[in-house]
Amino acid sequence: MLAYIDKIKEISNRLLKEGKVDMVIGFRKGTVPMMNEPCFVKTPEDVDNFVWDSNCGINLANYLTNRKEKIGIVAKGCDSRNIVTHVIENKIKRDQLVIIGVPCKGMIDRHKIEAMFETEIQDVIEADDKIIVKGQGLEKTLNKKDVLQDNCALCIHRNPVIHDELVGDPVEEQKDLDRYEDVRKIEFMSPEEKWRYFDDLLSTCIRCYACRNACPLCYCPTCFVDESRPQWVGKSQDPIDTRTFHFLRAYHCAGRCTDCGACERACPMGIKVRTFTRKLEKDCLELFDWEAGLTLEERPPLDTYRPDDPDDFIK
Amino acid sequence: MGIEPGRLHFSWISSAEANKFVDVVNEITAAVKALGPNENFLKTEARVA
Amino acid sequence: MSDWEPKIVSFLCNWCSYGAADLAGVSRMEYPPNIRVIRIPCTGRISPKFILAAFRQGADGVWVSG
Repeated sequence: MLAYIDKIKEISNRLLKEGKVDMVIGFRKGTVPMMNEPCFVKTPEDVDNFVWDSNCGINLANYLTNRKEKIGIVAKGCDSRNIVTHVIENKIKRDQLVIIGVPCKGMIDRHKIEAMFETEIQDVIEADDKIIVKGQGLEKTLNKKDVLQDNCALCIHRNPVIHDELVGDPVEEQKDLDRYEDVRKIEFMSPEEKWRYFDDLLSTCIRCYACRNACPLCYCPTCFVDESRPQWVGKSQDPIDTRTFHFLRAYHCAGRCTDCGACERACPMGIKVRTFTRKLEKDCLELFDWEAGLTLEERPPLDTYRPDDPDDFIK
Repeated sequence: MGIEPGRLHFSWISSAEANKFVDVVNEITAAVKALGPNENFLKTEARVA
Repeated sequence: MSDWEPKIVSFLCNWCSYGAADLAGVSRMEYPPNIRVIRIPCTGRISPKFILAAFRQGADGVWVSG
Protein backbone atom coordinates (compact mmCIF):
# COMPACT_ATOMS: atom_id res chain seq x y z
CA MET A 1 0.00 0.00 0.00
CA LEU A 2 2.95 2.29 0.71
CA ALA A 3 3.96 2.04 -2.93
CA TYR A 4 0.87 4.07 -3.78
CA ILE A 5 2.46 7.22 -2.38
CA ASP A 6 4.88 7.75 -5.27
CA LYS A 7 2.13 7.18 -7.75
CA ILE A 8 -0.16 9.66 -6.00
CA LYS A 9 2.61 12.24 -5.99
CA GLU A 10 3.44 11.60 -9.62
CA ILE A 11 -0.15 11.92 -10.79
CA SER A 12 -0.80 15.00 -8.65
CA ASN A 13 2.35 16.63 -9.91
CA ARG A 14 1.35 16.01 -13.50
CA LEU A 15 -2.22 17.25 -13.03
CA LEU A 16 -1.08 20.44 -11.33
CA LYS A 17 1.68 21.14 -13.85
CA GLU A 18 -0.61 20.62 -16.82
CA GLY A 19 -3.13 22.89 -15.15
CA LYS A 20 -5.85 20.23 -15.33
CA VAL A 21 -6.78 20.91 -11.73
CA ASP A 22 -6.50 23.87 -9.38
CA MET A 23 -5.77 21.69 -6.41
CA VAL A 24 -5.45 18.11 -5.30
CA ILE A 25 -7.05 16.85 -2.13
CA GLY A 26 -5.19 14.05 -0.40
CA PHE A 27 -3.67 13.15 2.94
CA ARG A 28 -0.60 14.31 4.78
CA LYS A 29 0.99 12.94 7.88
CA GLY A 30 -0.86 13.98 11.00
CA THR A 31 0.80 15.41 14.07
CA VAL A 32 -0.25 12.46 16.19
CA PRO A 33 0.09 8.83 15.19
CA MET A 34 -2.82 7.17 13.33
CA MET A 35 -4.37 10.51 12.49
CA ASN A 36 -3.53 11.50 8.95
CA GLU A 37 -5.13 14.76 7.99
CA PRO A 38 -6.63 16.04 4.76
CA CYS A 39 -4.33 18.19 2.72
CA PHE A 40 -5.15 20.60 -0.11
CA VAL A 41 -2.19 20.95 -2.45
CA LYS A 42 -2.22 23.81 -4.93
CA THR A 43 1.32 23.87 -6.31
CA PRO A 44 3.46 21.07 -7.74
CA GLU A 45 6.16 21.82 -5.14
CA ASP A 46 3.87 20.77 -2.32
CA VAL A 47 2.92 17.33 -3.60
CA ASP A 48 5.65 15.82 -1.46
CA ASN A 49 3.38 16.36 1.52
CA PHE A 50 1.13 13.55 0.36
CA VAL A 51 1.20 10.24 2.14
CA TRP A 52 -0.84 7.09 1.96
CA ASP A 53 -1.12 4.39 4.60
CA SER A 54 -3.76 2.73 6.70
CA ASN A 55 -4.63 5.89 8.60
CA CYS A 56 -6.42 7.64 5.77
CA GLY A 57 -9.88 6.80 6.98
CA ILE A 58 -11.32 10.30 6.68
CA ASN A 59 -13.73 10.55 3.78
CA LEU A 60 -12.36 13.19 1.42
CA ALA A 61 -15.64 13.54 -0.47
CA ASN A 62 -16.62 15.67 2.52
CA TYR A 63 -14.44 18.48 1.16
CA LEU A 64 -16.05 18.64 -2.27
CA THR A 65 -19.42 20.08 -1.33
CA ASN A 66 -20.26 23.13 -3.45
CA ARG A 67 -16.68 23.64 -4.60
CA LYS A 68 -16.25 25.70 -7.74
CA GLU A 69 -12.66 24.98 -8.77
CA LYS A 70 -11.29 22.01 -10.64
CA ILE A 71 -10.21 19.41 -8.16
CA GLY A 72 -8.09 16.30 -8.18
CA ILE A 73 -9.12 14.02 -5.38
CA VAL A 74 -7.56 10.93 -3.93
CA ALA A 75 -10.33 8.40 -3.44
CA LYS A 76 -10.61 4.99 -1.85
CA GLY A 77 -13.55 2.73 -2.64
CA CYS A 78 -15.89 4.40 -0.16
CA ASP A 79 -14.73 7.92 -1.05
CA SER A 80 -15.48 7.25 -4.68
CA ARG A 81 -18.99 6.10 -3.81
CA ASN A 82 -19.53 9.28 -1.85
CA ILE A 83 -18.26 11.27 -4.81
CA VAL A 84 -20.90 9.56 -6.94
CA THR A 85 -23.51 10.50 -4.35
CA HIS A 86 -22.28 14.09 -4.41
CA VAL A 87 -22.51 14.23 -8.19
CA ILE A 88 -26.02 12.73 -8.13
CA GLU A 89 -27.08 15.29 -5.55
CA ASN A 90 -25.62 18.16 -7.58
CA LYS A 91 -23.09 19.10 -4.94
CA ILE A 92 -20.27 18.98 -7.47
CA LYS A 93 -20.03 18.42 -11.21
CA ARG A 94 -18.35 15.34 -12.55
CA ASP A 95 -16.30 17.35 -15.06
CA GLN A 96 -14.81 19.41 -12.25
CA LEU A 97 -13.17 16.32 -10.87
CA VAL A 98 -10.17 14.22 -11.63
CA ILE A 99 -10.52 11.20 -9.41
CA ILE A 100 -7.29 9.50 -8.41
CA GLY A 101 -8.54 6.08 -7.41
CA VAL A 102 -6.78 4.12 -4.72
CA PRO A 103 -7.60 0.44 -4.25
CA CYS A 104 -7.85 0.01 -0.52
CA LYS A 105 -7.33 -2.88 1.83
CA GLY A 106 -8.91 -1.25 4.81
CA MET A 107 -8.01 1.36 7.34
CA ILE A 108 -6.91 0.68 10.90
CA ASP A 109 -9.05 1.60 13.85
CA ARG A 110 -7.23 3.89 16.24
CA HIS A 111 -9.83 3.31 18.95
CA LYS A 112 -9.04 -0.40 18.89
CA ILE A 113 -5.29 0.10 19.05
CA GLU A 114 -5.45 2.77 21.73
CA ALA A 115 -7.61 0.51 23.85
CA MET A 116 -4.96 -2.23 23.74
CA PHE A 117 -2.24 -0.25 25.47
CA GLU A 118 -2.07 1.77 28.63
CA THR A 119 0.83 3.97 27.64
CA GLU A 120 0.65 6.69 25.04
CA ILE A 121 1.36 5.51 21.54
CA GLN A 122 4.10 7.55 19.96
CA ASP A 123 4.61 5.93 16.64
CA VAL A 124 2.85 3.46 14.40
CA ILE A 125 4.70 1.90 11.51
CA GLU A 126 3.24 -0.25 8.81
CA ALA A 127 4.87 -3.10 6.99
CA ASP A 128 2.77 -5.26 4.68
CA ASP A 129 0.10 -6.81 6.83
CA LYS A 130 1.74 -5.95 10.13
CA ILE A 131 1.36 -2.88 12.27
CA ILE A 132 4.19 -2.01 14.66
CA VAL A 133 3.13 0.12 17.59
CA LYS A 134 5.76 2.04 19.55
CA GLY A 135 5.59 4.01 22.76
CA GLN A 136 7.47 4.57 26.02
CA GLY A 137 8.98 1.16 26.72
CA LEU A 138 6.61 -0.39 24.27
CA GLU A 139 7.00 -2.12 20.97
CA LYS A 140 4.46 -4.51 19.66
CA THR A 141 3.60 -6.00 16.32
CA LEU A 142 -0.05 -6.47 15.45
CA ASN A 143 -1.79 -8.10 12.54
CA LYS A 144 -3.47 -5.46 10.45
CA LYS A 145 -6.55 -7.53 9.95
CA ASP A 146 -7.13 -7.66 13.70
CA VAL A 147 -7.25 -3.90 14.02
CA LEU A 148 -9.21 -2.94 10.90
CA GLN A 149 -12.07 -0.51 11.24
CA ASP A 150 -15.29 -2.48 11.58
CA ASN A 151 -16.65 -1.16 8.32
CA CYS A 152 -13.44 -2.01 6.46
CA ALA A 153 -13.58 -5.58 7.72
CA LEU A 154 -17.04 -5.82 6.12
CA CYS A 155 -16.24 -3.80 3.01
CA ILE A 156 -17.26 -5.22 -0.36
CA HIS A 157 -16.31 -2.24 -2.51
CA ARG A 158 -12.62 -1.76 -1.91
CA ASN A 159 -11.85 -0.54 -5.39
CA PRO A 160 -13.01 2.88 -6.52
CA VAL A 161 -16.25 2.67 -8.51
CA ILE A 162 -15.30 5.65 -10.66
CA HIS A 163 -11.84 6.97 -11.29
CA ASP A 164 -9.83 8.80 -13.93
CA GLU A 165 -6.49 7.52 -12.76
CA LEU A 166 -5.69 4.45 -10.72
CA VAL A 167 -2.58 4.25 -8.57
CA GLY A 168 -2.31 0.48 -8.48
CA ASP A 169 -3.93 -2.72 -9.64
CA PRO A 170 -7.40 -3.31 -8.25
CA VAL A 171 -7.36 -5.40 -5.10
CA GLU A 172 -9.43 -8.49 -4.63
CA GLU A 173 -12.89 -7.75 -3.24
CA GLN A 174 -14.01 -9.55 -0.12
CA LYS A 175 -16.72 -12.08 -0.78
CA ASP A 176 -19.19 -14.18 1.16
CA LEU A 177 -19.32 -11.83 4.10
CA ASP A 178 -22.24 -11.83 6.45
CA ARG A 179 -22.47 -8.07 6.60
CA TYR A 180 -25.49 -7.62 8.81
CA GLU A 181 -25.21 -10.13 11.60
CA ASP A 182 -25.25 -7.47 14.32
CA VAL A 183 -28.13 -5.58 12.72
CA ARG A 184 -30.21 -8.73 12.69
CA LYS A 185 -29.47 -9.25 16.35
CA ILE A 186 -30.99 -5.85 17.12
CA GLU A 187 -33.95 -6.47 14.83
CA PHE A 188 -34.86 -9.53 16.88
CA MET A 189 -35.07 -7.54 20.10
CA SER A 190 -38.38 -6.46 21.59
CA PRO A 191 -39.14 -2.73 21.66
CA GLU A 192 -38.14 -2.51 25.34
CA GLU A 193 -34.87 -4.31 24.72
CA LYS A 194 -34.16 -2.02 21.79
CA TRP A 195 -34.88 1.00 23.90
CA ARG A 196 -32.42 -0.14 26.52
CA TYR A 197 -29.86 -1.16 23.94
CA PHE A 198 -29.82 2.29 22.36
CA ASP A 199 -29.85 4.04 25.73
CA ASP A 200 -26.75 2.08 26.55
CA LEU A 201 -25.13 2.67 23.19
CA LEU A 202 -25.61 6.42 23.39
CA SER A 203 -24.98 6.88 27.10
CA THR A 204 -21.50 8.28 26.50
CA CYS A 205 -22.45 10.65 23.68
CA ILE A 206 -21.30 14.20 24.40
CA ARG A 207 -23.14 15.77 21.45
CA CYS A 208 -19.97 17.12 19.89
CA TYR A 209 -21.37 16.45 16.40
CA ALA A 210 -18.02 15.11 15.21
CA CYS A 211 -19.93 12.30 13.46
CA ARG A 212 -22.01 14.82 11.58
CA ASN A 213 -19.03 16.95 10.62
CA ALA A 214 -17.02 14.01 9.40
CA CYS A 215 -19.88 12.73 7.29
CA PRO A 216 -19.81 13.65 3.60
CA LEU A 217 -23.60 13.38 3.47
CA CYS A 218 -24.15 15.96 6.20
CA TYR A 219 -23.90 19.12 4.18
CA CYS A 220 -27.18 20.86 5.06
CA PRO A 221 -26.56 24.63 5.34
CA THR A 222 -28.34 24.52 8.68
CA CYS A 223 -28.46 21.21 10.44
CA PHE A 224 -31.74 20.36 12.17
CA VAL A 225 -29.96 20.32 15.52
CA ASP A 226 -29.00 23.96 15.05
CA GLU A 227 -32.47 25.09 14.07
CA SER A 228 -34.22 26.95 16.84
CA ARG A 229 -37.56 27.91 15.30
CA PRO A 230 -38.93 25.34 15.60
CA GLN A 231 -36.44 23.59 17.80
CA TRP A 232 -36.68 19.96 16.77
CA VAL A 233 -34.24 18.70 19.29
CA GLY A 234 -32.87 20.09 22.56
CA LYS A 235 -29.22 21.00 22.85
CA SER A 236 -28.58 19.18 26.08
CA GLN A 237 -27.15 15.78 26.78
CA ASP A 238 -30.55 14.52 27.78
CA PRO A 239 -30.84 10.91 26.56
CA ILE A 240 -33.98 11.73 24.60
CA ASP A 241 -32.30 14.61 22.80
CA THR A 242 -29.23 12.53 22.06
CA ARG A 243 -31.39 9.75 20.73
CA THR A 244 -33.43 12.09 18.56
CA PHE A 245 -30.25 13.54 17.10
CA HIS A 246 -28.79 10.17 16.21
CA PHE A 247 -31.98 8.76 14.75
CA LEU A 248 -32.72 11.79 12.64
CA ARG A 249 -29.17 12.04 11.39
CA ALA A 250 -29.30 8.40 10.41
CA TYR A 251 -32.58 8.89 8.56
CA HIS A 252 -31.07 11.72 6.57
CA CYS A 253 -28.47 9.25 5.39
CA ALA A 254 -30.97 6.60 4.31
CA GLY A 255 -30.17 5.31 0.84
CA ARG A 256 -27.10 7.55 0.71
CA CYS A 257 -24.75 6.11 3.30
CA THR A 258 -21.84 4.17 1.86
CA ASP A 259 -20.68 2.84 5.22
CA CYS A 260 -17.35 4.65 4.93
CA GLY A 261 -17.01 4.65 8.71
CA ALA A 262 -16.04 8.32 8.96
CA CYS A 263 -18.63 8.94 11.70
CA GLU A 264 -17.39 6.12 13.85
CA ARG A 265 -13.78 7.06 13.27
CA ALA A 266 -14.45 10.65 14.29
CA CYS A 267 -16.30 9.80 17.49
CA PRO A 268 -14.12 10.77 20.44
CA MET A 269 -16.11 8.50 22.73
CA GLY A 270 -15.86 5.44 20.52
CA ILE A 271 -19.61 5.08 20.03
CA LYS A 272 -20.61 2.64 17.32
CA VAL A 273 -22.46 5.27 15.33
CA ARG A 274 -22.74 3.01 12.32
CA THR A 275 -25.30 0.88 14.14
CA PHE A 276 -27.95 3.33 12.95
CA THR A 277 -26.89 3.87 9.37
CA ARG A 278 -26.29 0.19 8.81
CA LYS A 279 -29.86 -0.75 9.58
CA LEU A 280 -31.02 1.70 6.93
CA GLU A 281 -28.40 0.44 4.54
CA LYS A 282 -29.65 -3.08 5.04
CA ASP A 283 -33.26 -2.01 4.49
CA CYS A 284 -32.36 -0.23 1.27
CA LEU A 285 -30.60 -3.32 0.03
CA GLU A 286 -33.47 -5.60 0.93
CA LEU A 287 -36.38 -3.38 -0.11
CA PHE A 288 -34.96 -1.59 -3.12
CA ASP A 289 -31.95 -3.72 -4.02
CA TRP A 290 -29.92 -0.56 -3.70
CA GLU A 291 -26.40 0.20 -2.60
CA ALA A 292 -25.49 3.85 -2.50
CA GLY A 293 -22.97 5.43 -4.80
CA LEU A 294 -22.35 2.64 -7.27
CA THR A 295 -23.60 4.33 -10.42
CA LEU A 296 -24.16 7.77 -11.83
CA GLU A 297 -26.93 6.52 -14.10
CA GLU A 298 -29.61 5.68 -11.58
CA ARG A 299 -31.50 7.87 -9.11
CA PRO A 300 -31.55 6.69 -5.49
CA PRO A 301 -34.73 4.85 -4.40
CA LEU A 302 -35.84 7.57 -2.01
CA ASP A 303 -36.13 10.21 -4.70
CA THR A 304 -37.90 8.14 -7.30
CA TYR A 305 -41.31 6.55 -7.32
CA ARG A 306 -41.99 3.18 -8.76
CA PRO A 307 -45.42 1.58 -8.72
CA ASP A 308 -43.91 -1.57 -7.25
CA ASP A 309 -42.24 0.19 -4.34
CA PRO A 310 -42.81 -1.79 -1.15
CA ASP A 311 -45.81 -0.45 0.75
CA ASP A 312 -46.65 -3.13 3.28
CA PHE A 313 -46.57 -0.63 6.11
CA ILE A 314 -49.51 1.34 4.67
CA LYS A 315 -53.01 0.23 5.49
CA MET B 1 -35.39 1.75 17.39
CA GLY B 2 -37.45 1.19 20.46
CA ILE B 3 -40.78 2.67 19.43
CA GLU B 4 -43.48 0.05 19.55
CA PRO B 5 -44.74 -0.70 16.05
CA GLY B 6 -48.31 -0.02 17.19
CA ARG B 7 -47.58 3.61 17.93
CA LEU B 8 -46.87 4.72 14.43
CA HIS B 9 -49.37 4.14 11.66
CA PHE B 10 -49.52 4.90 7.98
CA SER B 11 -52.58 4.64 5.83
CA TRP B 12 -54.00 5.68 2.53
CA ILE B 13 -57.58 6.87 2.42
CA SER B 14 -59.21 8.74 -0.44
CA SER B 15 -61.49 11.65 0.34
CA ALA B 16 -64.53 9.54 -0.51
CA GLU B 17 -63.73 6.80 1.96
CA ALA B 18 -65.35 8.11 5.12
CA ASN B 19 -66.09 4.54 6.23
CA LYS B 20 -62.52 3.49 5.92
CA PHE B 21 -61.50 6.61 7.79
CA VAL B 22 -63.69 5.70 10.73
CA ASP B 23 -62.45 2.10 10.67
CA VAL B 24 -58.84 3.17 10.67
CA VAL B 25 -59.35 5.65 13.50
CA ASN B 26 -60.98 2.91 15.56
CA GLU B 27 -58.23 0.50 14.80
CA ILE B 28 -55.43 2.92 15.62
CA THR B 29 -57.04 4.12 18.81
CA ALA B 30 -57.40 0.53 19.94
CA ALA B 31 -53.78 -0.25 19.09
CA VAL B 32 -52.43 2.76 20.96
CA LYS B 33 -54.73 2.17 23.91
CA ALA B 34 -53.42 -1.35 24.19
CA LEU B 35 -49.86 -0.04 24.41
CA GLY B 36 -50.58 2.46 27.15
CA PRO B 37 -49.09 5.91 27.53
CA ASN B 38 -45.90 6.84 25.74
CA GLU B 39 -43.44 7.61 28.48
CA ASN B 40 -40.15 6.80 26.84
CA PHE B 41 -39.92 10.00 24.93
CA LEU B 42 -40.78 12.31 27.76
CA LYS B 43 -38.01 14.07 29.58
CA THR B 44 -38.24 13.78 33.33
CA GLU B 45 -38.80 17.03 35.22
CA ALA B 46 -35.40 16.90 36.89
CA ARG B 47 -33.42 17.16 33.70
CA VAL B 48 -35.48 19.43 31.53
CA ALA B 49 -33.17 21.11 29.08
CA MET C 1 -55.15 4.82 34.99
CA SER C 2 -58.49 3.54 33.79
CA ASP C 3 -59.61 6.95 32.56
CA TRP C 4 -56.49 7.45 30.52
CA GLU C 5 -57.20 8.20 26.90
CA PRO C 6 -54.44 8.17 24.30
CA LYS C 7 -53.56 11.23 22.29
CA ILE C 8 -52.90 10.40 18.69
CA VAL C 9 -51.36 13.03 16.49
CA SER C 10 -52.73 12.59 12.99
CA PHE C 11 -51.08 14.07 9.96
CA LEU C 12 -53.77 14.06 7.31
CA CYS C 13 -53.31 14.96 3.68
CA ASN C 14 -55.53 17.86 2.68
CA TRP C 15 -56.74 16.07 -0.44
CA CYS C 16 -57.28 12.57 0.85
CA SER C 17 -57.73 11.69 4.50
CA TYR C 18 -58.61 15.20 5.55
CA GLY C 19 -61.39 15.05 2.98
CA ALA C 20 -62.41 11.67 4.31
CA ALA C 21 -62.53 13.08 7.85
CA ASP C 22 -64.67 15.91 6.58
CA LEU C 23 -67.00 13.49 4.84
CA ALA C 24 -67.19 11.34 7.95
CA GLY C 25 -68.20 14.43 9.87
CA VAL C 26 -70.77 15.53 7.33
CA SER C 27 -72.20 12.00 7.30
CA ARG C 28 -72.41 12.11 11.10
CA MET C 29 -70.33 9.03 11.57
CA GLU C 30 -68.91 8.37 15.00
CA TYR C 31 -65.28 7.76 15.74
CA PRO C 32 -63.09 8.01 18.84
CA PRO C 33 -62.13 11.53 19.89
CA ASN C 34 -58.50 10.59 20.52
CA ILE C 35 -57.08 11.90 17.30
CA ARG C 36 -55.62 15.39 17.03
CA VAL C 37 -55.65 16.33 13.40
CA ILE C 38 -52.91 18.31 11.71
CA ARG C 39 -53.75 19.16 8.13
CA ILE C 40 -50.82 18.97 5.77
CA PRO C 41 -50.75 19.84 2.07
CA CYS C 42 -49.58 16.36 1.14
CA THR C 43 -48.03 13.41 2.95
CA GLY C 44 -44.88 14.21 1.01
CA ARG C 45 -44.52 17.12 3.39
CA ILE C 46 -43.92 14.72 6.27
CA SER C 47 -40.41 14.52 7.58
CA PRO C 48 -39.22 12.02 10.16
CA LYS C 49 -38.62 14.92 12.49
CA PHE C 50 -42.35 15.73 12.60
CA ILE C 51 -43.04 12.26 13.85
CA LEU C 52 -40.29 12.34 16.44
CA ALA C 53 -41.31 15.85 17.48
CA ALA C 54 -44.85 14.58 18.12
CA PHE C 55 -43.61 11.72 20.27
CA ARG C 56 -41.26 14.01 22.14
CA GLN C 57 -44.08 16.34 22.98
CA GLY C 58 -46.09 13.58 24.50
CA ALA C 59 -48.09 11.98 21.74
CA ASP C 60 -49.04 8.40 22.51
CA GLY C 61 -49.39 7.53 18.87
CA VAL C 62 -48.77 9.06 15.48
CA TRP C 63 -50.78 8.45 12.37
CA VAL C 64 -49.76 9.56 8.92
CA SER C 65 -52.42 9.23 6.28
CA GLY C 66 -52.54 10.16 2.62
